Amino acid sequence: MKTDSRLKRVLEKGHFAVTAECGPPKGADPKVIKSKGKILKGFVDSVNVTDNQTGVVRLSSLAACVLLKKEGLDPVLQMTTRDRNRIALQSDILGASALGIRNVLCLSGDHQSFGNQPQAKGVFDVDSVQLVQLVRQMRDNGVILGGDKLSEPPRLFIGAVANPFADPFAYRAIRLGKKVAAGAEFIQTQCIYNLTRFNEWMDKVRDLGLDEKVYILGGITPLKSARMAEFMSKQVAGMDVPDEIINRMKSVPAREQRQEGIKIAIETIQALKEARGVHGVHIMAIEWEEAVPQLIEAAKLFPRPQV
Amino acid sequence: MDQKSAGLNITIFFCQQLDANQDANRRVLERELGSRIKFFPLPCSGRIEPLHLLRALETGADRVYLIICPEGACRYREGNLRARKRLAFAQGLIEEIGLEPQRLELIQTTQGDQLTIDQRAHDLLARKAAFGPNPAKLQGSRGQANNARTLEPMNPGTPDVYQGVHYDYSGKKTFI
Amino acid sequence: MITAERKPLSEIKEMIAPYKKILVAGCGSCVAECASGGEKEVGLLASALRMDAKMEGRKIEVNEITLDRQCVYEFIDQLTGLVGQFDVILSLGCGAGVQALADVFAGVIILPALNTAFIGQTKEAGLWIENCRACGDCKLGYFAAVCPITRCAKGLFNGPCGGSKDGKCETDPDAPCAWQLIIERLDKAGRLDLLQNVYPPADWSKQQGKGPRKIHREDQSI
Ligand code: SF4
Ligand code: SF4
Repeated sequence: MKTDSRLKRVLEKGHFAVTAECGPPKGADPKVIKSKGKILKGFVDSVNVTDNQTGVVRLSSLAACVLLKKEGLDPVLQMTTRDRNRIALQSDILGASALGIRNVLCLSGDHQSFGNQPQAKGVFDVDSVQLVQLVRQMRDNGVILGGDKLSEPPRLFIGAVANPFADPFAYRAIRLGKKVAAGAEFIQTQCIYNLTRFNEWMDKVRDLGLDEKVYILGGITPLKSARMAEFMSKQVAGMDVPDEIINRMKSVPAREQRQEGIKIAIETIQALKEARGVHGVHIMAIEWEEAVPQLIEAAKLFPRPQV
Repeated sequence: MDQKSAGLNITIFFCQQLDANQDANRRVLERELGSRIKFFPLPCSGRIEPLHLLRALETGADRVYLIICPEGACRYREGNLRARKRLAFAQGLIEEIGLEPQRLELIQTTQGDQLTIDQRAHDLLARKAAFGPNPAKLQGSRGQANNARTLEPMNPGTPDVYQGVHYDYSGKKTFI
Repeated sequence: MITAERKPLSEIKEMIAPYKKILVAGCGSCVAECASGGEKEVGLLASALRMDAKMEGRKIEVNEITLDRQCVYEFIDQLTGLVGQFDVILSLGCGAGVQALADVFAGVIILPALNTAFIGQTKEAGLWIENCRACGDCKLGYFAAVCPITRCAKGLFNGPCGGSKDGKCETDPDAPCAWQLIIERLDKAGRLDLLQNVYPPADWSKQQGKGPRKIHREDQSI
């Protein structure tokens, strides 16, 4: 049976996949999602919708996925374990499948202390690896945690994230292996600015044979300014922006920095296309969705394949 | 006006390493000022407890000084550092109740000064009286807070006897 | 031990405002060890309350007592016969102590003067760190004796998350990443193989299944 997940079809056909990220608004207006969807439509295979990213309350990921689906896009539902216990998570997975969502990305999520609800109780009933495993069980075995049978299993392409730049570095590929063992089918990585480090990580990934078991999409975030590069390097947890990138951004005048950021992103995408075992890119243009089509065209990833 | 003429009650905690003859040296002042001055020699200033400082204020002191040995000269290595932190803690507590934290003061002596404890006390008494009487001290004779009682755990059926003040400053004892 | 910190004086004052005769009751066990509710702290608080009342011209009577343990009946019993003489007991016990007093002395007003914090270890003089959440199903054996439930900010059983950097946790640059510690210690012990396991979700029913937990042992009962 042909899967409804465009992302899965693209990857299975051996194409270099392109996904993008769409952050829902801090409000109830569906128009924001729709217009972001319009910008991305046709340029990407699938669109990730973040789940109250950095612990900031936003329109729900599931609702935004449905809105994007109506616009004709293939959404990837991001689910963090920060805000829901296993009951709510499993229930939302069934709901998402029923609403026609076909991709899920399992992650633990940024700690609530970073967001605008620092007094919230962090749930973390299960972790991201366990979430992958439980979605996989629901889908393949038709059972939830504890073994109860589902009347109808969810149909979802299951993804997880990996951060090649976090510590301890030596263990990062092994942890990816755990996610794969738990049942992850595709992986989206943290933004890549440090290609050397990324390649070192990929070496380990290939040594473990993981690139043949899971589709890996490299994370790309075009830099808007030298300030953003510095901020990401210093303030954002788990981010590795080397000095040479910061200096390169600084070396051009402010009004040209956006273009420089795009240039760096294009070069990174080119490098990823060459890397064995990298199956696509995931573009996280934070509040800068307009840049995505331009970037994809310039990186010669347009038009997207018919699958 | 200086603190002596202002009639302030002064309590001095001090490291007894500072003056080998402290016992004798403080007698004259004690006779002269009676309950208005109280000395508490400590084997090491690190033995000071915030509770000693609070009790001193509660039982009548207007100013409390803690005299410590020079930096790096503590016989027990870090006693004077600890004394500094404890005093700061006690200052925080009295600030919470609205009392001037400066009523508790640390006096760090300098290397090589050979002052005796009574000379130091005279210096302190000669200081300007920056504060009036301590408004938080409890009524009654100095050295006895009529309201401060520590109860000893009792067995059921013998509910009557209250014990006296737990820390009795009138006896001028050394805290060991 | 159970650790705690004293509530701000303003909050304590507000709680005891309606009362005149106050018994400050400490506990000589955990909270004495962490310098928040032992005999010294009882003295400090009582002294502060008396001076405070004096400064504001209020007449109150504050007495002090410290029990060896505030959470065990045999010791609480020492208050029997005393409590009747007070309007309120201001407890410097942990939450268990406060509730135990209230259980024993029905009708007596018992108020907490401490914020009970956590089960922890004295790391060094004056420094206490949380290291157990009493989950009821100890898994330290898998995690090189570093509790991921307590010491990982996200309670991950399959960590570390993507925020671990230079051995520090993403949530606090001063806090060690629990998973970095786990990995280092497993490495030293030659048990890195344990990291390959996908650990299943915890059984939280052992921690909070049906309300308060209890342990009942026949051999210990009379
Ligand atoms: S695993 Fe459970 S019992 Fe063991 S240290 Fe952690 S919280 Fe405590
Ligand atoms: S950085 Fe380490 S301790 Fe902090 S949440 Fe992530 S895995 Fe847990």
